[in-house]
Amino acid sequence: MLLLQVIVGGLLLGAIYALFSSGLTLIWGMMNFINFAHGEFVMLGMYVALLIVVWFGGGPAVFGFAAAFALFLLGVIIYAGLIRHVTRGPMLAQILSTFGLALLLRYTAFWIFSANVVSLPQTSLGGTFNIFGILVPAAQLVAGVTAAVLTIAMHLFLTGTTAGSKLLAVAEDRNAAMLMGIRPDRMQALAWGLAAGGAGIAGALMAISYPWSPSVGETFGLTAFVVVTLGGFGSVPGAMYAGLIIGLIQALSAFYLGPIYKDIVVYALFAALLWFRPQGLLGKA
Amino acid sequence: MKGTIALAVIFILYPFVFSNAFYLDIGVALLLAAISASAWNIVGGYAGQVSVGHSMFFGTGAYLPLLVYHHWQLPPLVGVPIGIAISLVIAVIIGLPTFRLSGHYFSMATIAVAELIRLVVGTIDFLGAAIGLQGPAVGRGWYDLTFRGELPYYFIFLAVLVFLLFITWLLQRSRFGYYLRAIKAGERAARSLGVPVRRTKLYALMLSATFTSVAGSLYSIKTGFIDPESGFGILVSVQMVIIAALGGAGTLYGPLLGAIILIPLQTATNTWFGGGGTGLTYILYGGIIVLIARFEPGGLHELWYRIAPKFRKRANAA
Amino acid sequence: MLLSAENVSKTFGSLRAVAGADLSIEEGEIIGLIGPNGAGKSTFFNCLAGDTLPTTGRIVFDDIDVTRAPPEAHARLGIGRTFQVPATFEDMTVLDNVMVGAFLRHHHRADARGQAEKVLELAGLADRAHLRARSLGTPGRKRLEIARVLATEPRLMLLDEALAGLTPAELQQAIALVKRIHQTGVTIVIVEHIMEVIMTLAKRVIVFNQGHVIAQGQPVDVVKDEAVIEAYLGRGHRHWRKAGGT
Repeated sequence: MLLLQVIVGGLLLGAIYALFSSGLTLIWGMMNFINFAHGEFVMLGMYVALLIVVWFGGGPAVFGFAAAFALFLLGVIIYAGLIRHVTRGPMLAQILSTFGLALLLRYTAFWIFSANVVSLPQTSLGGTFNIFGILVPAAQLVAGVTAAVLTIAMHLFLTGTTAGSKLLAVAEDRNAAMLMGIRPDRMQALAWGLAAGGAGIAGALMAISYPWSPSVGETFGLTAFVVVTLGGFGSVPGAMYAGLIIGLIQALSAFYLGPIYKDIVVYALFAALLWFRPQGLLGKA
Repeated sequence: MKGTIALAVIFILYPFVFSNAFYLDIGVALLLAAISASAWNIVGGYAGQVSVGHSMFFGTGAYLPLLVYHHWQLPPLVGVPIGIAISLVIAVIIGLPTFRLSGHYFSMATIAVAELIRLVVGTIDFLGAAIGLQGPAVGRGWYDLTFRGELPYYFIFLAVLVFLLFITWLLQRSRFGYYLRAIKAGERAARSLGVPVRRTKLYALMLSATFTSVAGSLYSIKTGFIDPESGFGILVSVQMVIIAALGGAGTLYGPLLGAIILIPLQTATNTWFGGGGTGLTYILYGGIIVLIARFEPGGLHELWYRIAPKFRKRANAA
Repeated sequence: MLLSAENVSKTFGSLRAVAGADLSIEEGEIIGLIGPNGAGKSTFFNCLAGDTLPTTGRIVFDDIDVTRAPPEAHARLGIGRTFQVPATFEDMTVLDNVMVGAFLRHHHRADARGQAEKVLELAGLADRAHLRARSLGTPGRKRLEIARVLATEPRLMLLDEALAGLTPAELQQAIALVKRIHQTGVTIVIVEHIMEVIMTLAKRVIVFNQGHVIAQGQPVDVVKDEAVIEAYLGRGHRHWRKAGGT
């Protein structure tokens, strides 16, 4: 029974991983660009949630939306001010750009919020659900389910709407997309906004049930790398499955081996993936 | 050639002119930073394979000397070649699978493996766990390299730096060096000219790992202490990258230039901003890296090359 | 026979870019490879160069099966290629660019440099040896690419639209360069759209359409071939000619 609880908890957290990793893989597929600051977007989402609750009060819907919106804007601004200018340049510039950005965001957060571990004040999401004998904290359940819904929504947006198809078109073949009248620049800005917004709201959801400090960005960033590699280059559906799998593996590792091992196993898995199956689940060989 | 000699003379005379412990300290730190960054430069600057987890080599090199002393009372120097050997193994483990994939995989792998090692080392008691390891408090002989003052370290580090720069200089002129630059400039074209891309990248990583490991060993021998954070932490990797990139990644003296600018600067900001100031230093670092990436990926070296002709023109016109 | 391609095809997902192409090249020839856009010639070309793995078929160079060999191996065996969009090493000097090529056969810096300087002389770039590649215009870059490949001492050179976008004067110089190279004994396959280049340089022309070879022969014969004209002008051209054309 305890094992089932661990599994459910892992999957729920995995849903949140899936949410923020989808954005990362979308950008990777569209622009062949890895955002080394993606974990920091999640971290910032968590702090936005905190600030909203502290300043205005308000439930998850309020601070969730605020985090999504704030990070969406940040994503677009970062694209327009920085990313757009480095994508055509040398690899060094591309990697350094977001790597430096990650440092900037992380240490600014340290400076503003200090290194103290914080958590959201108790919200109305207290209590525990009992589902078929498995005890699931309400906060985790709501966060996980919401994340899953949003991830699926993102996937549907990409495959089902006109705007989404345009994004995918740019990812597929930039030149062909241009010939069809699609503006890659605009689409890429939108993708960055979506990815950052997704990360932001994922952070807000995570903040509902887990404490954090500015250093979590580094761990989330690495987790996202593993998820997108496992899911496959540019594959949002892949990221969805991979997120759940990673969440599950983490939970089981913590359960059987100890809390410190949850990250160790995931990173070791990453190394193994690179050796044996770098294209991941849904990527092309 | 003249410039090189002048530079060498300046560095040799420095500790005698600035013999105060504070300045000597900066000098030693500067040299160490230059060594690490120059080592990173081989794979990150010349070959263009951006490692953001080079601390894995530094930490390995740092742990081994103190490890062999701690458990078997051997002179720390014995740990240096062992550290190199292990670093080479790590380099192969990372490079072999990732160098046949696009560049991002390599960069992601470096940061993940560095973190992995840091976490694992923190759990193993034999390696000192979270507490770390210490070196000899008092030297049993010259071979323990526990000097009271900084001066001997200064000259040892200087010698290593000179050697590394010499190796890099030779490399730059060799077939291997040209191939590295070609890979950075255009992998597909390089391949079509017969460059064995995967193998070349791997050798570059192994060479870089070797010298980074040595830098780590120098650090722990001098400091007499190492723990997971100071060995394998991300800030160790960051410093190597920013120093090389600021001065000019892919150039011979770029990393040294970066160290000359950043190490004194870092000391200054740490002093100004006080205890909570280390955070501000890294905000600054982050900002500098972003600016370099956005405006001048070639670093100050490239900036100089772009601006210098304009000064000459104005001088000629006047 | 220097190079032969048998029944080479390449499929991308559901798209069949090359469908059963055959080709044989004797040492010392200059072959032109033409065809409308999207005919599959670039893909086929990339298969010959080792950049793309053919889905079926065999490519044999000098009795060695190179079907699955990577580009590096192609270069070592003596197959060199240029790129449609020039891929020079922008931040390296013209001389250094060529030296990268020269290092394939000459492992020591002095030898490689000597070889590179000779090639630069042949290609007419000696006066710009110490300029950065990025400061050359497109014609200069194309010429540099050719020089760089030449430094690898290829037996077969694959030129991918190396003469496109040049002014008439530059075009004449480029054609002269290709002739000079051919005279040193290099076999050349050139993909091109410019008819003048094909007519003056190629002794034999191979025409691609929709993924396979539809005609081959001497240039004068090929341009009169019905199938070829149809490929370029489309099915309706006969009616057009009857209606009001020549």
